[in-house]
Parts: sequence; structure tokens; C-alpha cells
Amino acid sequence: MKQSFVFSGSGGQGIMSAGITLAHTAIDMGKHATYLPEYGPEQRGGSAKCTVVISDDEIVSPLPKQCDNLIVMNEQAYAKFEEDIKEGGVLLMNASRVSAKNRDDVREIAAPVDDIALELGSEKAANIVLLGILIGATGVVSRETLAASLEEKFKDKKPGILEMNLKALDKGIEIGEQYK
Amino acid sequence: MGKKSFMKGNEAIAEAAVRGGCRFFAGYPITPQNEIPEYLSWRLPEVGGSFVQGESEIASVNMVYGASAMGIRCLTSSSGPGISLKAEGISYLAGAQLPAVIINVSRGGPGLGSIQPAQSDYLQATKALGHGGFHTLVFAPNTVQEAVDTVYEAWEYAERDRNPVFILLDGCLGNIMEEVELPEMKEIKPEDAPEWSLSRRNGRDYQNGITSIYTEPLLEGLNAMAGEMYKQWEEDDVKVEEFMVDDAEYVVVAYGIASRVSKEAVMKLREKGIKIGLIRPITLYPFPKASIRNLDYSKVKGIIDIEMTIPAQMRDDIELQVMGRCPVYEYGRSGGCLLDDDGVYEAIEEIITGGAD
Repeated sequence: MKQSFVFSGSGGQGIMSAGITLAHTAIDMGKHATYLPEYGPEQRGGSAKCTVVISDDEIVSPLPKQCDNLIVMNEQAYAKFEEDIKEGGVLLMNASRVSAKNRDDVREIAAPVDDIALELGSEKAANIVLLGILIGATGVVSRETLAASLEEKFKDKKPGILEMNLKALDKGIEIGEQYK
Repeated sequence: MGKKSFMKGNEAIAEAAVRGGCRFFAGYPITPQNEIPEYLSWRLPEVGGSFVQGESEIASVNMVYGASAMGIRCLTSSSGPGISLKAEGISYLAGAQLPAVIINVSRGGPGLGSIQPAQSDYLQATKALGHGGFHTLVFAPNTVQEAVDTVYEAWEYAERDRNPVFILLDGCLGNIMEEVELPEMKEIKPEDAPEWSLSRRNGRDYQNGITSIYTEPLLEGLNAMAGEMYKQWEEDDVKVEEFMVDDAEYVVVAYGIASRVSKEAVMKLREKGIKIGLIRPITLYPFPKASIRNLDYSKVKGIIDIEMTIPAQMRDDIELQVMGRCPVYEYGRSGGCLLDDDGVYEAIEEIITGGAD
């Protein structure tokens, strides 16, 4: 089983971090994964995209033309990458910044992840809400392994950061499960 | 088996350099290789090595010349435009018979080009890294693991030959994160410095000398020795992967990142019953001539050169071995546009069904 993911948005929206976390979690589960970032010369605000491939077998090519799952964090990202999703794939949109598309050739999931994350304490956790939704809807990695990699990632941060991210993850999973 | 890490190509090869004994790096920033110097800036001091961000590429490669003359395992890295600037120093390294490792994480060109990945420096790497008619071994790994293993062993070749070793990657391999198993740290002691280095007197009361300027008969002799060494590489050092070529009617030739995308296409075409294989040069110099020369041309109907650059640069090397016995086709993307699975698959299918060359 091989699955591909494209995360897209603007620099600063946690796109790259979401991709790395997903790929890392897959590897922790004994799967194979590749993560390829693509970005312009800007430090912030430029377009950000990364491609993650997860597979039970060794990955030959890390460069799929179209992905099974397209995650878009803003309208510009959708405009740029809307063709990059396979028919029947999952289109996951940040409804806080992307308007509904009503495409009938893909499984569309829209959730206001910025607003949800803000409610939980910080907009910065929006990417973790997204990952939660992906897990809930596709089961690509397990909640436990992802939670463990978040624990590792945030262990040296201020108290409360990890808890907020775990809440964001669980809130995401809850939403994603409705789209299973 | 050691523990597998999930690492970015640039960082993994920087660590592999340290473990391979590299104790000096000098370079100047350029995308898409910046994580190599960034990593080495803190990592080299940890192991008693030195990191210098030079004031320019030219200064950096000459610092590498100095470190190498002292018998220290040293490295510089850059991307296309920076390698052009280092050309003079690379030629001086070869002229002075100094070992060093040079990494190019290549991007779109010519000129300042694009910061996105491309394989546009094949001709530079294999034919003319600088003036004066010298060669280096050129390795082109296609995974982070193979890049790590190549960098780790690079100084063994460089010191064996007293010649620079060149490693050609592209921005994809520099920036991709993959699983990798890192090798053990090699213990290289200062007293292990090669006998010819400036740090050794070998019991004499005068030092060794290092130069790249010689009187006429001596220079001709050195040129001839280099020529013999390049011939020996053809015997001993060619590395190539051959995949499903035995019964192949079509053979793709691709290296580095292009070989991975091509292999995926070859596997998919095989599932459809098409007799197709892949030859992947791992050393670009020496080029795996025999793999292409000795194909069974009573079966092979075409060779397809796939590169992430337009026009294809490896084609001449391929054609010299095909010698007109079948058509050679090419497909590529360039300018920072990446090859992708479907694009390569469709291009091959079109070639096979009698489409464009």
C-alpha cells in the first residue's frame, strides 16, 4: 500500500512541519516514507509545498505527479495545486481560509482549522488539527504513534504546549472520523 | 544493523563527511545545499575540526587546497553557479595532486538559473570541472543512503589517487528526507596524515613541497600518469546498476533522482508486458561504457536517456557506446520543473509507440 500527500499553503502555516511529522510517524510505525519540501526564496509568506510518500514497501520514486491526499491551507495553494490530486482522492481544506469547492471527483473535507486551533490556544496548532483530520479520515498512521512523536517534538517546550497540540490532534481526529 | 534515522539529504551527507574523517570545510552559501555548511558549522567543532564560511567560493576552494596540503580530509560544497566559481581551485587541486571532496547539489541553469532542483551540471562534472584537461571520479548516488555511503568512502578514493573526488547530487536529493543508517565514525589521527603532506617531514630536516607549476618534461610526465590513472579507473571503479535489461527491447539510461522516477516507470511498463529495463550509471566518470556497449542489439530497439535537464547531457556518452546500432531518444524536464512518475511513464510510452525523439 502506497499513499501520497501534498501539503500546501504559505510559509509560516506549519506545512513543512506537518509533512515531516506525518512522514516521521510512518517510519516510527515501521513503514517507509519520503518527505520532499519545495519552496521559493522567501523566509515567510511565500508559497510552501511538501510531498510525503508513505508505503509498506521501499519507495522507488518520491515524485508522484498526482497525490492521493491534497491538503490546502489557503486559497492560493488551492489555485496552484488543484490539478495535483487524483480522482477519488481526499481534498482537505482549511475552511478558515479556503471557500468550499463542491468538487464531485474527490472526497472533500473542509474544516476551519485556524479557528479550531485558536480556540484551543494558538493558531500555530492548525497544522496538528489537520493531521488529526487526516488520521481520522484515512487511518494512514495511528493516533498513538503520532502522539508519541508530538511528545518527543514538544518535550522541551513551555508547559501546556504539548497538551494543546494533543488536544488539537484529538479534535482533528474527531472531525476526520465523520468523513471515514 | 544500526538504528535508522529520518534525515534530510544535505544533513545526512554532512554527518557522513564527519564520520568519513572530514575535519575541514570551507564554503559559501547557495541554495539548495545550505544545510551542508549549516550542519558542519556546529558539527565540525564538536570533533575538533574547523568550519569556515569563506568570503567567496574562490576563497573557500583555496582554503580547501591549503587544508588538503596539510594532509587533512577536507570538503567543499556548492551548487552549479558556485561550482563554476570554484573551477580554478578544483583545477589547482588536480594539478597539485591534492585529495579533496567536492559536492554539487545542483539546480537549474545556466546562469543564476533556478534554486529548484535540476540535473544540469553533468557535462561540467564529467568533462571540464576546470581548465587544463583533468578528470575526477564523479559519483551520482540516487538515495540519501547511497549519498551517505558515497561521501563516507570518498576520501579513500581521493587519498588513493591524490586527486579530488566529485559527488553530483541535485536539489531533490539534498532536500529530501528519507530513512538512513549512518556509518561508524572513522578514527583518523593527525599522525595518519599522508606522507606527502606538508605536515610530515618523514625524518628529514626539510619539508615536503606542494605545487601545481612544473617544468615542461615533468608536467608532461604528470599528465601521462594522470592519463594512466583514468584508464585504471575504467578497470576498477565503474559502478552501475542494471535493472531488467537481460531481455529488454527498450533500455532507459538515467542517473540520480531521474533514475528513481524512471525505475518506477519501468516497473509499471513491465506490468503491462513491455520488455524494458534500466541502466543507472552510479559513476558518471568513469562512465559505465560496457553496460551500454554490450547490450544485445539484435533485441534492443531503442535507448531512452532520461534526465532532469533539457537538452539531455549524457546523450553523447550513450551514443558513443550505442554506435548507431539502435535509435537513442531523450526525455527531460528542466528549469526547476521536476520529473514525475506519470510524466516519465507517458513519455516512454510515447517513444515506444513511435512518437517523438
